[in-house]
Amino acid sequence: MSTSDTRIPTRQRAVANAGGAAVSTRSRAMVMEARHLLFTVSPGAAWIIVFLVLPSVYLMAVAFMSNGPYGLPQMPLSVDSFKQLSGFGFLGWSPGNLYTLLRSLWQTFLSTVLVVIVAYPIAYYITTCREKWRPIMLLAVVVPSWTNQVIRTFGWMNLLAPNTPLSDLASTLGLISPNMGLYPSNFAVTLGLVYNFLPFMVLPLYAAFEKLDTAQVEAAQDLYASPLKAFWHAVFPQTLPGLLAGVVLVAIPAFGMYVIPELLGGGKGMMLGNLVATQFSGGSNWPLGAAGAILMLIATFIGLFAMRRIGKRLGGGEEVVI
Amino acid sequence: MNKRSFKRGLKGFWWLTMAFMYLPLAVVMLFSFNAANSAAHFTGFSLRWYTKLLANQEIINAIGNTLVLAIVSSVIALVIGCLIGYGMYRHRHRKLGWLIILIYLPIVLPDIVFGISEMAFFVQIHQLTGFLKPGLGTMIIAHVTFEIPFVALIVYSRFVGLDPTLFEAAKDLYATPFKRVMHFMLPTIKPALISAFFLSFTLSVDDFVISFFTSGPESATLPIYIWSAIKKGISPEINAIATLMIGAVALAAIMSLLLSRRRAA
Repeated sequence: MSTSDTRIPTRQRAVANAGGAAVSTRSRAMVMEARHLLFTVSPGAAWIIVFLVLPSVYLMAVAFMSNGPYGLPQMPLSVDSFKQLSGFGFLGWSPGNLYTLLRSLWQTFLSTVLVVIVAYPIAYYITTCREKWRPIMLLAVVVPSWTNQVIRTFGWMNLLAPNTPLSDLASTLGLISPNMGLYPSNFAVTLGLVYNFLPFMVLPLYAAFEKLDTAQVEAAQDLYASPLKAFWHAVFPQTLPGLLAGVVLVAIPAFGMYVIPELLGGGKGMMLGNLVATQFSGGSNWPLGAAGAILMLIATFIGLFAMRRIGKRLGGGEEVVI
Repeated sequence: MNKRSFKRGLKGFWWLTMAFMYLPLAVVMLFSFNAANSAAHFTGFSLRWYTKLLANQEIINAIGNTLVLAIVSSVIALVIGCLIGYGMYRHRHRKLGWLIILIYLPIVLPDIVFGISEMAFFVQIHQLTGFLKPGLGTMIIAHVTFEIPFVALIVYSRFVGLDPTLFEAAKDLYATPFKRVMHFMLPTIKPALISAFFLSFTLSVDDFVISFFTSGPESATLPIYIWSAIKKGISPEINAIATLMIGAVALAAIMSLLLSRRRAA
């Protein structure tokens, strides 16, 4: 357990010294070390490989199979699912799936921007408050997200239903026709997404604001920078790593969201997650659903990679590492 | 714009946001005490939905399933994740990049892809071998999978924060490996283990999507029950169950606040 025997650099060294009595204990120590590594790490690694990597690989394989009875995948291999995903069906090309994809991208973008707009002042405000209040305020922001997502979305269904104050207000303003609710709609989905992801943006932004170097701000003020300019050149760059971390935490899960569009979006508010899920739970077409899942994975990894690159270029990369 | 009105504006924005955050929960709680059947109008205070809830065997089963799933999966994840966390610490001088990627995989994979690939896999295995029938067992497997990384990372960061000479001291005092684990390792990482367990437990209770796709007909958890009740048409009973869950969360929040206060003091 001492650190000295964990520091044998390479196997070559042990081999080069072979023959000496001291070395045989050394190489035995190495075997012990390897066994130790195997014993501690392999149960978890095996668990994740068997119950996550293998299923994911299987899902990818399913995407390249053809659609059999009951939507189950069968041989031969084909790329029909990808054709269908891009809109080619029995009746020629239809834009339905393309709309779903575009809607997912748009909803992700819109809700991320709105989350930033709300979270930025909130995170800043918390740092201006007295130190003993800050943990409580952060907790107040986070606690709603501890309740189950289904329940929170159900709360919004109650609030946005027909004949509620909010819906009445909207119909008085002429935004919706009378006796209609504010859901199901794309608006309700955006609202639900913003509500759901706000804490994930406030926390990293707060961390960034707390570390803010105020000397830079004072320097800017001494140089007669207007408040806006001082903010843009002295404050904003310092919060950028936190902002990027928040964007990763918001945009990626928002893109794959299932619960919120399903409950608040209705048929016209479907996102990619719903498209994928219906292919499996309705038993209609596993290969098509698997193809959608691959698309989602590709988008996720592009997003993660892009954020990492931007984070590294900014030099403040350590916060964006995921 | 002077500084004072700016600060006041921020304060107003804070309270507005708080209203936004708590309004949906407040509505759910309010309507759980509604005397009427209607979800739109509050007609008077009543506990009828709570008494109905206690008589509903399906809900009692769902509560049982939720707890069994959360406790069993957290315990398994704690053992496996703890081993990985320690292994990562002890062997961190080696190239363990593959292990790190493997551990981050359950975290970055979108829920829906996670849930669906597990479901497709379990269904296929069940057809071929008869094992892994969708139900509580498959749900536990799925939950352990997404809990392991959190346990491993918490335990790892606890070990990294320790003085490495402590490990040598334990060895120099001729403690056997078993004794070292029992008298040194476990007691020192106890706080990490407790917080990892509670995090796993919360993650498990909070999860809907992965549970939904890996569940069987008889293993509905509370979120799944609520989901299907919403889909079938809204019953005021949902408000009552949801209120109980919100209450449990509020209690946990207050407890964590008090605990962190005590630790700070």
